[in-house]
Amino acid sequence: MSSFNKAQRDPLDLVTIIPDEKPHIFIKDDKICITQCENKPCTYYCPSRVYYWEDDSIKVLYKRCIECGACPYGCPYDNIAWQFPGGGYGVVY
Amino acid sequence: MGNDRYNAVVVGAGPAGATAALLMARNNLSVALLERGKYPGCKNMTGGAIASMPFQQILPEYWNLEDIPLERRVVSDELWLLNNDSAVRMGFTGKTFGKIPYNKHTILRHRFDNWYARQAVKAGAKLFNNCLAVDLVYHKTGLLSKKVDGVMLEGGDVIHADVVILAEGAQGSLTQKAGLRKRLKPNEMTLYVKEVLELPAGKIEDRFNLERGEGASIGMIGYPTSPAIGKGGIWTNKESLSIIVGGYLNQISGKGLNPLQLLERYKRHPLVKRLIEGARPAKYLGHIIPKGGFNKIPTLVDDGLIVAGDAAEMISGRRGMDLAMMTGKFAAEAAAQACALDRYSRDILASYEGRVKSSFFYQNMKSHKDAEAYFNKYQDSDFLIAKAVNDLAYKFFEQNLESDKNNIVKMAEELIDMQPLGKSAKDILFGLQNWGVL
Repeated sequence: MSSFNKAQRDPLDLVTIIPDEKPHIFIKDDKICITQCENKPCTYYCPSRVYYWEDDSIKVLYKRCIECGACPYGCPYDNIAWQFPGGGYGVVY
Repeated sequence: MGNDRYNAVVVGAGPAGATAALLMARNNLSVALLERGKYPGCKNMTGGAIASMPFQQILPEYWNLEDIPLERRVVSDELWLLNNDSAVRMGFTGKTFGKIPYNKHTILRHRFDNWYARQAVKAGAKLFNNCLAVDLVYHKTGLLSKKVDGVMLEGGDVIHADVVILAEGAQGSLTQKAGLRKRLKPNEMTLYVKEVLELPAGKIEDRFNLERGEGASIGMIGYPTSPAIGKGGIWTNKESLSIIVGGYLNQISGKGLNPLQLLERYKRHPLVKRLIEGARPAKYLGHIIPKGGFNKIPTLVDDGLIVAGDAAEMISGRRGMDLAMMTGKFAAEAAAQACALDRYSRDILASYEGRVKSSFFYQNMKSHKDAEAYFNKYQDSDFLIAKAVNDLAYKFFEQNLESDKNNIVKMAEELIDMQPLGKSAKDILFGLQNWGVL
């Protein structure tokens, strides 16, 4: 399989998102990502690349979220707190 | 809106919620239908197609209704076992399915759900868009007992109701908060992504061998999600194709797969590429499907509370939207009965549970209850089967220099080399069930 490459086309070009001013996704404990999580699976299973690893921490681009619902369940350390964005905000398919 | 009181409040205006609201409103109940998005359907995703027969239980001859956004009537259903450059295809095309009362219609949720919720509004339900329910509100009914008596919205407003119907979708956050549903594990859900690709109607009909207005669906296993258990699929809409790919979340996560990359790779497969050539990507979507199956079905009712649709994990094989509608219908019937008696306790609302448990889909879920365990134990079974049958097919169709007898012996040896025959047979049986063929 071709390597995961940020330069490849951004699927969000095809998506309308009205971002809430307040984030709706939080990392519960940054230390867990650094000390325990070896593979950082959130950086690849997320279908819209909300998560990326930079400067020894997970960055969360909540404005990219398409609300698929997978991230809190896919995190092997149950370290992602995800809630719905406010009413009327978020993805509009 | 604050502190209003209704007979029923429905959380979520998808197929389950809109059905419940529509039928309760028809029964002269006052109904508030809450949608967290800008409009119903704007956050929803299907493959997909809606089955006619269950839908007709709610809206008979729905295809005649004004402005109903149906895409195509499905006459052709295929399953492809896909390998790197080949496919073993099974399928059925029946022109009768193109005629009334039809079998399935392809739909796009942002149009369909919006239209469907409008039918509930026409019947008298009050729809609130941009409206996120964040909690349940309880009312004390005795020293130690309480019943659900409404929902709290973000911002603190409360909508009171005698019955709350949770049709909040796959995440089921309020259902979990109410203690009715356990948190799903990543092996108990699938994650799918989808693209809508625009293509002129004439091209769609030529490529899929369809007459005007007819539709096709192709499910594919093996290559699309190898080495994980999952599926790819293509559905024809009026002037677009829906293409999806996805599988069990624990396998996607554990094997380092990226759903968008799976989709891109799938679109480049030589047999898929030709079908979508020249089509313009117009939408990208993603969603989870609760796949805990029979063993994980939540508690369906509580005092003043009913859970329907995906929130109740009512998924059987490829079917979900029609089961959402059916459970929405059952919920409306139970709620109407409770309102007539003016009693909303669990034992009264248990009539909902009874209706679900005697349904055809509950039986189906029960008989497929081991699928999840099997597919997570044998995560390569789809891929192995797809590869094996394609290898055999290459041998079978190859015009070589061996006698027929030698060819058959060789094919049998190859099959046994791959894995024990019993295992292959089991893979096929579980596979057929999982793909919704059996």
